[in-house]
Amino acid sequence: MKQFTTHTLPRILAIVSLVWASAAQADETCMSPYMAKIVGQEDVVYVWTLGEEGLGDEQDKLVTIDVNPSSPDYGKVIHTLSVGGRNEAHHSGFTDDRNYLWAGGLDSNKIFIFDVHTDPAKPSLFKTIDNFEQASGGVVGPHTFYALAGKIMVTGLSNSADHGGRTAMVEYSNTGDYVATHWHPTDQDLRGATKSGKYADGYGYDVRALPRRNAMFTSSFTGWTNYMMDFGTMLGDPEAMKRFGNTAIKWNLHTRQPEKIFDMPGAPLEIRCAWQPNHNYCFTTTALTSQIWLMYEDESGEWQAKAVGDIGDPSKVPLPVDISITSDDNGLWVQTFMDGKARYFDVSDPFNPKQTYEKVIGAQLNMISQSWDGKRAYFTSSLLDNWDKKGEADEQFFKAYTWNGKQLELEFMVDFKAEKLGSAHQMRFGAYGLYGLPRPWEKPANASAGKAASTDAAN
Amino acid sequence: MRVALATVAAILFFVSVQLALAEDIRLAPGDNKDNYESADYHTDSLALPQRIGAPADLLSFATRKQTGLPAPQHPANNQPDAQKIALGRKLFFDRRLSRNGTMSCAMCHIPEQGFASNELARSIGFEGRSLKRNAPTILNVGFYQRLFQDAREFTLEQQVWSPLLATNEMNNASIGQVIKIIQSAEDYTGLFERAFKQAPNMQNIGMALAQYERSLVAADSAFDQWLYGGDKSALTDQQIDGYELFIGKAGCVNCHLIGTQTALFTDQRLHSTGLGFQTSLGDSDSPITVQLAPGVFTSMEKARVESVGEKKPNDLGRYEVTLNPADRWKFRTPSLRNVALTAPYMHDGSLPTLASVVKFYKQGGVEHELLSPLIKPLNLDNDEQSALVAFMQSLTGDNVSTLVADAFAANNDRAHNNNKAAINRTAE
Repeated sequence: MKQFTTHTLPRILAIVSLVWASAAQADETCMSPYMAKIVGQEDVVYVWTLGEEGLGDEQDKLVTIDVNPSSPDYGKVIHTLSVGGRNEAHHSGFTDDRNYLWAGGLDSNKIFIFDVHTDPAKPSLFKTIDNFEQASGGVVGPHTFYALAGKIMVTGLSNSADHGGRTAMVEYSNTGDYVATHWHPTDQDLRGATKSGKYADGYGYDVRALPRRNAMFTSSFTGWTNYMMDFGTMLGDPEAMKRFGNTAIKWNLHTRQPEKIFDMPGAPLEIRCAWQPNHNYCFTTTALTSQIWLMYEDESGEWQAKAVGDIGDPSKVPLPVDISITSDDNGLWVQTFMDGKARYFDVSDPFNPKQTYEKVIGAQLNMISQSWDGKRAYFTSSLLDNWDKKGEADEQFFKAYTWNGKQLELEFMVDFKAEKLGSAHQMRFGAYGLYGLPRPWEKPANASAGKAASTDAAN
Repeated sequence: MRVALATVAAILFFVSVQLALAEDIRLAPGDNKDNYESADYHTDSLALPQRIGAPADLLSFATRKQTGLPAPQHPANNQPDAQKIALGRKLFFDRRLSRNGTMSCAMCHIPEQGFASNELARSIGFEGRSLKRNAPTILNVGFYQRLFQDAREFTLEQQVWSPLLATNEMNNASIGQVIKIIQSAEDYTGLFERAFKQAPNMQNIGMALAQYERSLVAADSAFDQWLYGGDKSALTDQQIDGYELFIGKAGCVNCHLIGTQTALFTDQRLHSTGLGFQTSLGDSDSPITVQLAPGVFTSMEKARVESVGEKKPNDLGRYEVTLNPADRWKFRTPSLRNVALTAPYMHDGSLPTLASVVKFYKQGGVEHELLSPLIKPLNLDNDEQSALVAFMQSLTGDNVSTLVADAFAANNDRAHNNNKAAINRTAE
């Protein structure tokens, strides 16, 4: 049992997590460095799930799946929590203390804050933020929820003026109070940033930080009109296809000011930063142009961006979506939606990624979450409600695999259609040990034994 | 005297500020994509926090005759009134008037995009559901005798309820639910009572929205100043050539009427150009060209596109209202006023530019048995086609910037007020 849990200050956590990163093999690797991590066996996975018309209760829900092989409920859905409406459930993220999970609706702009610490197996709805658009001054499409010290940075995808791609990051306190709106730089107002090329589109998508370099990075996708639209209709609409982001931005983490805009054509999406203390770089991939990009600090201390590799055959538009870096920074999982493949790239030389493995996970594929040690990888199917495949190819699943460094082996799957749950999107891990709680199936004989189990879980 | 001077000074200041702000308005998407087809594309994006605008005297636009258009007409029971216009304007930009609080009228009728949508061909509505048609401009909508592109509605007061209730548009559960949302919103307290001497109801909600829409009159264009205002320098030589073609060789004026005193640029009738026919019966399995980034294109097989998409729906036009086979694929002639602002074009937004529209008509539309006899192949050379485009670019009303600035101000008011106002959507 190797779990790390702490309730120490976030800044200490960041340092601790770095130390652990160098000692362990890999992550929950997309988590904020400000956050406690599960470096051993995770107990549950929370799947933020889109409601589907005609299926079950037809509304978005947080689905909790037991993923601990030692549990009697291993492989089962142990809890669901319906939130009302189809909000275009998409991404979620924990507060830095990992007590709350924030989950957003890209359409309704609601943010659901779940209590995951009182009973990790049965999250409860703690609070709903329903004035995101108004409080932020017109930001639409709350996407990434990224923990900073005592704060949550929420990236927007769109705006309420034209439902296009110009947008902002919106900062909240951990308790759900609005703090500030940080608009992405545009040509009219670069906000002090430097254009390194031809673009300052003002679009947004993901955010990640490298605290040791006082750096924060954002990428760019598309606005409400496109992400809500039928995918095939959009592909056939030349005007709509012009409305994608072509930029990534390096921000000053401390001041929240944009500093440098990189041209990155073709909608760069997920950003994953390296964990090793001397690895000053982050990866992203462009959805439409199917490239791996590296944002890195050069020898002079200047941040640069470079396309370092192709993903599949870009002319076929495999549509790389989610990515995940291993905690030793040597591997990068890249999922391609159209062909349903998980692809593993050796990125030990970050400037020369090499694909070393691929496997078809399903007819369509979006998200991956891997354990910190890299031995387990979980996959889900849904991209966006109206972008998912049609007919039989619209498989909706959660699949649990083990990874031995050479191949993925399926351990179990949950068919989200058969279980009438909806469309499975983003996953986040939970563990009893994070909160000093014993695992229910490991009930101690007496109270002191319980305390011992809790302590053990933290080691 | 001193008070009068101060009042005049205040008015002059208000007007000058309004004009200054209006001049700064870009009548195009703030997210500029001109030349996106080229690898040389560069952004020219506007900052949303600077989309501020300024209120305009909409009552004057609703009541006064502008050069080139008839004096606005209003129903006897819904005469122009500043309070009613203001209320309609507030409703128009209110995102709460949709099932999930996401769609307002202005999300498809986007002010700086010609009160239409430049950024996609066919509109999308509630939960991203596809519509069959391109969002038409609502500038000068008060001059249409019948509404919707299939002419199925007769007054704006009635028309506004269709998008409010359509399941693929704003998808409100019922008329009563819309009324309840308004009644329970604090920031509407007393507004209907003051404007209509009534609580909000189905009739006065329609009347208020219609009042705002009828105030969006935009004429006095360069063309109007040239033809009706006596300013012979208002058009370029190329635009005058285009006008001559428009009323002559190209025959555009047969449907897009120009009168001796005014010009609506529509005959208010319905015709089939063949575009609807082509979609219904002429579907192609050819690969489509998809743009991936500036200057980057690829070809995608139709089957691959359809694996992630719904089939483009048939649109039988007027037939869907009358069930008369002779009405298949007929759509109302749109006015061409402000047409330079409302790309993409045609009922389904399938033609991206005015040049492509001219080319379509040069070819005589799409041949089929119901093709309007007024449409036939035209012998137009490139210069003539360019002249027609240049002429259509002269039809933009000189007050559009003012109307757009006013709309920006309305949207900012909305965000401010809605932030303070709770809505009770819960069950009784």
